[in-house]
Amino acid sequence: MSAGEPGMGRYVYCIINSPGERKSFGNIGFGGEEVYTMEYRDFAPVMSSAPVKKYEVNEEEVELHKKIVGQVMKEHSVLPVAYGMVFKNKKLIQVTMSAGYKAIKKAMKVVDNRVELGVKVIQPKDESSLNGRVEQCRSDFLETLKRKAFDSKELKLFSDRLVLNASFLVDRDKIDEFSDEVEQLGNKYEELKTQYSGPWAPYNFVDIHILSRRRGGFR
Amino acid sequence: MFIMDDILLRQLGISIPGIDTLWTIEQIKNFAHKELYNPEKIKSKIKENRMLFEFGEITSEEYERTNAELMRKLKLAEQGEEMNLEVRTDILGAR
Repeated sequence: MSAGEPGMGRYVYCIINSPGERKSFGNIGFGGEEVYTMEYRDFAPVMSSAPVKKYEVNEEEVELHKKIVGQVMKEHSVLPVAYGMVFKNKKLIQVTMSAGYKAIKKAMKVVDNRVELGVKVIQPKDESSLNGRVEQCRSDFLETLKRKAFDSKELKLFSDRLVLNASFLVDRDKIDEFSDEVEQLGNKYEELKTQYSGPWAPYNFVDIHILSRRRGGFR
Repeated sequence: MFIMDDILLRQLGISIPGIDTLWTIEQIKNFAHKELYNPEKIKSKIKENRMLFEFGEITSEEYERTNAELMRKLKLAEQGEEMNLEVRTDILGAR
């Protein structure tokens, strides 16, 4: 199935700086379709042929979307695009890129050569072992790690067990330094469990809404 | 006015059995409604379940089981939101 066939459109995963020519990332897209770039001025949306439909939030497909962005990220700085953005045709992608060009340019400056790293810290089931030092631990983790990051974002504490849930935007060449700091903090607070994840595309540091605030893309 | 009277009586330590029962039922219903049909709370539970699995605190079987149950609840809650279940008739007839 190709993008020209009825009911088929182009699903966009992320935007990268233009590699200068059409680039293929292989048949890793939804339905085994080829993931490739389309040139738009100095940027290139990364896409594959996919049915034009409402993309329901489905764990497997969201994971696949993230995996594809992760693959692109190995070689390029990426501006992640929300899950489910499918466009009926090439023209609509160009219109969207044109409308969002300034915002894309600005966002790319922020994320270029940087990655997102996630840190979650949880307390043991028996909360008493922290002796009410939750606030102190959270602030120690946060302040120490902020010093090694370009930017940071505290995320929702969706569980009573969570002491810290944060994302950090870190220069690619400072990832090792940041990792060492996370390890040292983990050793300092042995009673806590730390999860360090990434590198991710900077999902928490890019928020561009172009033409439509609704998920599902501009059709 | 009716509610004010009821609260006033309650503060004075006076209870009227019939009204008390209705009031209690209404409170339980409100609580159950908020707990069961709040999509945000269910989404938090889904994330928490995933997190506990990633931290190795529950097995993959436990994760799958709880996740399936929570996804079912979320679907119900979202359907409930679409039907706008928040708008209900007050059984005490205060409105």
